[in-house]
Order: sequence, then structure tokens, then C-alpha cells
Amino acid sequence: MTRLMCFTAAAAGVAALALLTGWESDASTGPATIRITSREISRIRIDLGRPGRGPGDTEIVRLNLFNKRIKRAPIGQAEYVCTFTTRRLRSCTASISLPRGRIVAGGSIQFTELYELAVLGGTRLYDDARGTLTAIRTTRRPRRDILLFRLTG
Amino acid sequence: MKSASLSARMIAASVVLSLLVAASFAVLISAVSTLDDARDREAHSKDVTSAIVGVEKLVIDLEAGLRGFVVSNNLRLRSPYTQAHAELPGRLDALERLVADDAAQLGRARKLRTAIQIYVRDYANPILQIAEENPPAARSLVADEEGRRHTQLINARFSDLRAAEGTVAKENAASAKTQSRRAIIVAISALVACALLIVLFGLYLARSIARPVRAAATASSRLAQGDLSVRLAEDGPGEVSELSKAFNRMASELERSREDLETQNVRLRESERRKSELVTIVSHELRTPLASVLGFTSLLLNRDLEQRDQQRYLEIVDLQARRLSVLLNDFLDVENLEEGRLEFARQLLDMGTVVDEQVQLFSGQSSRHTLDVELQEKPLPVRGDPNRLAQVVGNLLSNAIKYSPEGGTVKVVGERDEEFVRVSVRDQGVGIPEELQKRVFGKFFRGDAGASGIPGSGLGLTIARSVVEAHGGRMSFKSVVGKGSVFSLELPLAAD
Repeated sequence: MTRLMCFTAAAAGVAALALLTGWESDASTGPATIRITSREISRIRIDLGRPGRGPGDTEIVRLNLFNKRIKRAPIGQAEYVCTFTTRRLRSCTASISLPRGRIVAGGSIQFTELYELAVLGGTRLYDDARGTLTAIRTTRRPRRDILLFRLTG
Repeated sequence: MKSASLSARMIAASVVLSLLVAASFAVLISAVSTLDDARDREAHSKDVTSAIVGVEKLVIDLEAGLRGFVVSNNLRLRSPYTQAHAELPGRLDALERLVADDAAQLGRARKLRTAIQIYVRDYANPILQIAEENPPAARSLVADEEGRRHTQLINARFSDLRAAEGTVAKENAASAKTQSRRAIIVAISALVACALLIVLFGLYLARSIARPVRAAATASSRLAQGDLSVRLAEDGPGEVSELSKAFNRMASELERSREDLETQNVRLRESERRKSELVTIVSHELRTPLASVLGFTSLLLNRDLEQRDQQRYLEIVDLQARRLSVLLNDFLDVENLEEGRLEFARQLLDMGTVVDEQVQLFSGQSSRHTLDVELQEKPLPVRGDPNRLAQVVGNLLSNAIKYSPEGGTVKVVGERDEEFVRVSVRDQGVGIPEELQKRVFGKFFRGDAGASGIPGSGLGLTIARSVVEAHGGRMSFKSVVGKGSVFSLELPLAAD
């Protein structure tokens, strides 16, 4: 019973968030830009190759997503799973959970301060989404970024 | 309906002209005012464009400062950014104030502000920080691309704003041009209308004043040349009409005066002719008895005549002297009557009595005549001079006897009605030919009496009619040649 109530409350919250973020993004109706901010909550690097950062290493980063104009609490989360291809260059897949669906982006990242990924697709509202995700670092500690989704359709 | 006076018409025309001029100037002022507004709007558009350019310059400074710092990592090269960043809010505020009256432009200006703010917040400031920490990252292609995207958006906003303002400026310029053209058209139209009105006014004045004055001058010349029948048309404005009427009155008066003069002239000529005739008649009438007197006195003085002849000659002299005396008295009476010097008594008298007395007086004068009196009513009261009225009746009786040489009955009738007393004397004499009847009451007119040996001066009827008319009455007669005449007099009935 308690689990059912929790589920119902979570569903209502998601619906509310979907409604709120829907004011800013309207990908289902065509091109749109979604601007949110992120705060890194964990970064794990798994040293799989030679000791130290190098090709083959895997890095998993988790972020909380915010839209401070709507609410102070996180509106979603993102997980980056990156594999280093050189000492600095990594190939990443990002899964960004937003209230009205999930967006998946991927590509190479050289500088974590500023990078651009291709939007590969999504679920629900962002089904078959295309476009770019640009991230720009705004603070180093804690690591905060602006995430800018430019969806083309 | 009385025609409006010329001065009223001129004042009305002047008022209309003034109103037209005032209306034209009002339209012109309005057009110039609109033109000023259009120019103000055009100037305002230039101000807006200038403000847009100012903001654009600051955005370029932002970008240049950012790029300079990112490329060189030299803080000195960042100063344009810092300066522009400080100035931008004020400039954007100024721009928004300038376009505040245009909601669409204000919206565009706000979108530009948002784009610039996003550029600064989401790109420029982070990039500067990244450039400090990791310059290669700030110089990466991604950074370039992101910067390009932001600046493209800002440029698009600038383009929208400039294009819209350009359209507004163009519309304002076109409006100013239209207003300018309209003002010129209005000014020219007003000028032409005023000129036309002035010409029409001049034509009207020429028609209303010059033409009537010219006509009056021509008519005056004709009048001066003796054509008194000339008249002016009395239409036209008040004063002109009055002038024409006055001229026509003057011409009519002159014409009447001339006719009077001509009549008087005719009368004078007639009078002169009659005077000459009078002198001739008088000299003739006086000469005849005077010659008798002189002739018989000469006989009496120079010849030794018998007592009987002396007696007969003396009787003739006496008769002719009396005849002269009567003639002179008649002359004097006519003269006095014509001059109005004869005074009449105004006493109540009975014309019946007067008639009776005169009939008695004349009844013994001719044995061949019978005087028959018929007084239908008595009394026949009139107010007048008994001696003069007796003279009139006596004259009529005398004529009736004289002009019926074969004798007969002379009938005298006296009657009255509600207004008049009428006395008529009918004879059975020779009558008066119709062609001579008009002259019966003329002085010295005797018809064929002179040739027929009928005595008389030809003044009796003249005196009689003058006396009757002086009493407020009238005389008339009817006559048929060979059958006789009837002479009547009417006098106003006096209250009993």
C-alpha cells in the first residue's frame, strides 16, 4: 500500500514536471531549444588500461538537472558513460532523463568545460529526436554546466 | 424684394475671400504640421537606427574583447568586453525608451536584449572563465561554433529591428513626402482659388459698378444732348439701383419740365397771338363806335342841321358811346377775371328771382320774341354774387334774342336737384355750326355774327363762363344749325 502511494505521488510529480518543462520545450511540435543547468553529483573513473588516464579507461559521471526558473529542486538526472580513446579524448554516451522523456546523446568530448554531442534519439516526447547538445562549464567547484539542447525535430 | 446693397455685397465677398484664404491657410498649416510630424517621425527613426547601431557596436566590442582575451589570454585585450558589458544595459534601456511608442519594435528590442543577455550569461561569461582555466577549450571549434550561433541569433535580432525601423523610416519618409506634396498642392490650389476669386470679384465689381457707371455716363451724355427719353435699368445692387432710380427721376423731371416749358411756350405763343388778335379786335371794335361818335360829332359841329337831325345824331353818338362803355367794361371784366382780381359776394340768393328779374328786363327789348319762364321749383338757392349772376343770365338772354333774328320763343327753365341749381336758356335761332362750337366760349368769338350784322363784343360767354366757374359751377350748351341753341349753367345748391 505504501509502495502504491509512493508510486502515485511520483507519477503525479513527474506529470507536474512534464507540464512545467513543457512550457519551455515543445520538441514534439518541431524545432526547439531546451536550456537547463546541471550539477555534477558523482564522477567515477575506472582505470582499465595502463595505469593513469589513457585509452580504454571508462568514466561514469552523474548529474542532477535543474531549471531554476521553474523550481529549485532537480528536474531530472543525466548519466554520462565515457570511454577514453586517447589521454584527453573520450567517446561518450549521455542519457538525460527529463520529466517528459529521455534524450540520448553521444559523441567525442575533448574538453569537459565545453563540448558538443549529437542528439541521437529519445523516448516519449523526445522520440526520434535529433539535434545537438552543447555543454558549457559555468563553475569548476562544484562543477556546474549549462546544457543546451538544440532539437531540430 | 429689396436688392442687397453694393457695400453689403462687397463686404460679403470680402468675408468669403477672407474665409477662403483662412481656410486655405488652415489646411496649409495642418499640412505643414503633419509634415513636421512626419519629419519628427523620420528623425525619430534615425535616432532609433542610431541607437541600434550603438548597441550593435557594443555587441561587436563584447565579441572582440571576448575573442581577444580567448586568443591572447591577455587581460588588457578584454577591456572592450568589460566596457561594453558595462555600457550595454544603459544603451538597451535607451533603445527601449526610443521604441516605447511602437509595441512591435519594443518587442523586438526586448528580444534583442534577451539574446544579448543569453549570449553574455550562457556563452561569454562562461567562455571567459574557461579561457582563464583552460585556454585551449575556450579556443576550440565547439566554442567557436557556439559563439557563432549566439552571434547569429543576435545579428538576426538586430536585422529584425533594423529592418522594421527601416520600414518605419521609409514609411515616415514616404509620409513626409506625401504630406509635402499635399501641402504644395493645397498651397497651389489655395493660391489659384484665391486668384480666381479675386478675378471673379473684380469682374463682379466691373459688372456691378463700372458697367452701370458707364451706362449712367452714356445716358447723361444723351441727356445733355437733349434726349430726355433716356432711362437706366433699375436693377443691380442697392446703391447702383438707387443711382439709376435717381437718374431716371431726374430725367423724368427734366422731361416733364421740358414738356411744361413747351406747353407754356405754346400758351405764350397762343397768348401772344391772342393778344395781337385782341389788339386787332379791340382796335376794330373801338374804332367802329368811335368813328361813329367822331363822324356824327363832326357833323353836329360843322353843319347847320335841323333840330330833328341833331336829335337823331346825338342819339347815335350816345348809343355808340354807351356801346364803347359796355365794350370797355367787358374788356375790364375779362381782364380782371383772367387775372383773378375780380371779387365776388357770397350771399345766399334765389336764382329764380334773378331769372325773373332778367326776363322782365329783356322782355321789352324785342317785340318779335316771346320770353317764356318755367321755374319748376322754388326757391333755387345758391350762394354767390347777385349782380354777376344776373349779368350771366342777362348775357344768355341777350344772346338768345340776338341770335334768333327771325324772332321766336326764348324759353328759360330753372330747376334744381340734390346738388345743383340749373338754369337753361333755349332759343330758336340760327344755331352754331359744329366746327365752331369748340370756340364758343373763346374771347371775341362771334362766329358769323359780325358778318350778319349782329352786334356784340364776343366777350359775353367768356365772362359768363368765368363767373359761373368762379362760383364753383359749370356751363354747357347744345346747338343745331338752323334750329337754335340751349345754353345751361349749373351752380352748387346752397343749403336752404
